[in-house]
Amino acid sequence: MTQALLNGLVSGLLIALPAIALSLTYGILNFANFSIGAMITVGAYLAYIANASFGAPIMLAAPAAAILLALIAIAIQHGVYRQIRNADHVTLLVASMGVAFVLENVIRFFYGADVRTLDVPVARPLLWNGLRLNHEQLTIAVVALSAMGIVAFILKRTRLGRAMRAISDDPDLAEVRGIGRSRTVDWTWAISGVLTALAGVLIALDGIVDPMIGMNYLVSIFAAAVIGGIGNPFGAVVGALIIGLVEETSALVVSTTYRQGISFVVLILVLLMRPQGLLGTARIRR
Amino acid sequence: MTGYLVAILTFVSLAVLLGFALNVQWGQAGMINFGLAGFYGVGAYTAAILSKHGADGFTATVAAIALTAGLSALASLATLKLREDYLAITTLAFSELVRLVLMNETWLTGGTNGIRDIPRPLIGLIGGERYELFFLLLCLVLVAVTYLVLDRIIRSPFGRALRAVREDDVVAATLGKNVLALRVKAFAIGGAVVGLAGALHAYYFTYIDPGEFAGFVTVYAFMAVIVGGKGSNRGLLLGAFTVMVLLEGTRFLKDFVPFLSAQQAASLRLALIGAGLVLILIFRPDGISSEYRLSIRKPARPELNP
Repeated sequence: MTQALLNGLVSGLLIALPAIALSLTYGILNFANFSIGAMITVGAYLAYIANASFGAPIMLAAPAAAILLALIAIAIQHGVYRQIRNADHVTLLVASMGVAFVLENVIRFFYGADVRTLDVPVARPLLWNGLRLNHEQLTIAVVALSAMGIVAFILKRTRLGRAMRAISDDPDLAEVRGIGRSRTVDWTWAISGVLTALAGVLIALDGIVDPMIGMNYLVSIFAAAVIGGIGNPFGAVVGALIIGLVEETSALVVSTTYRQGISFVVLILVLLMRPQGLLGTARIRR
Repeated sequence: MTGYLVAILTFVSLAVLLGFALNVQWGQAGMINFGLAGFYGVGAYTAAILSKHGADGFTATVAAIALTAGLSALASLATLKLREDYLAITTLAFSELVRLVLMNETWLTGGTNGIRDIPRPLIGLIGGERYELFFLLLCLVLVAVTYLVLDRIIRSPFGRALRAVREDDVVAATLGKNVLALRVKAFAIGGAVVGLAGALHAYYFTYIDPGEFAGFVTVYAFMAVIVGGKGSNRGLLLGAFTVMVLLEGTRFLKDFVPFLSAQQAASLRLALIGAGLVLILIFRPDGISSEYRLSIRKPARPELNP
């Protein structure tokens, strides 16, 4: 049981990264980015290419993947979402679904459906009072916590973070106050790209690389972001930890193949009882 | 060649049915359904499993329609007063769940092996030789019936209320419309049509497996609806045809580019379809045709009850 809780915490930290990314883009652009699963996959493959094809050590491959995915995310923003920014948010949702389709199948085109692994040394798990902690899990925890710390710092302490929060609160007011929307949106996508790429690398590190790895987490990520109150990055972390814990502890009772199903049930329950999410505030709709 | 044409037209009919469903749910009621593939799978598997257990084609199809409609209503219930995004998430998650059940509950669904030799309705009466043609005619009739029924619904006061909810649910609620009931009904109607399409899919192919009910079905259907013009069932006929011809056309891609493997050609096709969807949204977001508006309707006869 304690072992399940520990695993749950680690997997929650992992889910938290893309959930924060989702919340950030949702807050700024006001649409739910359905391509986030495909972005995770692309991040994992970018690291795989750098690691296995170019022989870069993972410490170098991971940041390279993060930067590349950030650039790709900005390019997609300019090429697609910016072009239809005047459409309603449902159109944007459908567009992000199309983007996901393109990304996933471009990966399949070049790399097929074969299962691959990153070239990293295998190490013995750490044992402590009967609890096992893999090195991969330790890496996940350290990377995720530092990434969260950096995002929190950016949001709370920097000019960019203030601009992001201002746009998220009230885009028109922010515009009037002279906050450059376009640049802030670009930076938001950059941060989102870095977080998703890191998640992709961490997932790949702990398991395998295949074209479905991102999709397999999509429901959990959305559940985490929605439970925490979508648009609220700090809520996303709380939501992710809940989802991680519930998924891992439920594995004691339900088959692990239904991990996503468990997230789905938790999501529905929270939506029925507290539609605005745990940390969200109820808004009066205009 | 005739056989090929018959097959394509059957595919188009199925796509049109899926498009009809999206047109009610998304076009008319503004409710997004990213789990279309999952509901389609529920319809197909229900019909297939019941037929395998001896139910006749009609009963199995009705059951498929009822189950899909019921599940659709349930899915829309979960999003009582929330924005469309939540419904998109819920339906997508539902679709994933369906995929997991189809793949893992081998005792019921045959797992990844799928279900083979699904008995075709009325095959004893028609005979195997002309069955394809008969099936196409059956599909066309069902498309026509669905079109007429949906047209009736869209032009009724119920349809008007749906569009009011889509445009502004608060105003609709203020005017005394039961927004929740309208939404649930719209989603269930769409679900019923998806269930019908699913059952036809099972009977046409006589073999189904979980891979056929993946995300690409949803993307095709959205594409057909957007090409045809969101909300317009007439435009959809053209939209679904265009999309299906493009789809089938790109199937020959690998004949022209011989250095691609079958797997690569398939991925390239799917990537092009995704890109097509995005390009249509950017350059032609309104599609070919537009939805029915009261203003263009010519006064055919005076209304008895104004």
